Amino acid sequence: NNIAARQRFPGPLRSLQPISTVSLRPFSGAASQQRSDLDEKVHLTESCVKRLGEIMVEGEYLRIRVEGGGCSGFQYKFSVDADRTEDDRVFEQDGVGIVVDQDSLEFVKGATVDFSQELIRATFQVLKNPRADHGCSCGSSFSVKL
Amino acid sequence: VSKRKILPTRAALTLTPSAVNKIRCLLQDKPEYIGLKVGVRTRGCNGLTYTLDYTKQKENSDEEVQQDGVRVFIAKKAQLTLLGTEMDFVESKLSSEFVFNNPNIKGTCGCGESFNI
Repeated sequence: NNIAARQRFPGPLRSLQPISTVSLRPFSGAASQQRSDLDEKVHLTESCVKRLGEIMVEGEYLRIRVEGGGCSGFQYKFSVDADRTEDDRVFEQDGVGIVVDQDSLEFVKGATVDFSQELIRATFQVLKNPRADHGCSCGSSFSVKL
Repeated sequence: VSKRKILPTRAALTLTPSAVNKIRCLLQDKPEYIGLKVGVRTRGCNGLTYTLDYTKQKENSDEEVQQDGVRVFIAKKAQLTLLGTEMDFVESKLSSEFVFNNPNIKGTCGCGESFNI
């Protein structure tokens, strides 16, 4: 995946750490500093990139926000946004991009955004979220791993 | 047993114009299918959820709804649940979905996918 993440506030150089410490699951506040760089990203599936290419005009991004609410505590909100603030991280792939603000990123990093197309509905979804424990079957609401 | 006058039955399911259009579009290039079939399935945090499939033939137990040239079949299990429901198709930039406005339901999940009766 060639997601080019433009990082405005680069973190400490995590790539210098040996692989073995990176693969350790963080279990305390101190250990979470050692999370691998890969986990900081939000990934896009092929169908998501394709759909965004179809609907977005130049300069528009898919914004993902995480809000309190839904039956499992948190829920994902999708919107179209042409404005970006300093607080936002942008993940781009093949000319389309999504933006996530820092607060929401804490809950979706490492996850994959997909555009799922079924007969009954076609919608954007967050899949394989490592931060989510279990969610509602609709996929829009989830609870956070503690 | 006295003879009862049989009342004309109300359509079990009504379709909005946008739903009719969408179904027509869906079926246009698929001549092997005669319509869509609506069902319910136990799933989700509120008990039930709707299912929608293409159908090739009408089964005996299916209720057929015909409106403006499109045919929608209701699976036996869903007939009571769906009675009087309006089926709509809502489209926005980010998502498009069939929505069921069901007068029988007591509550829904926040996402609207799951409901109880």
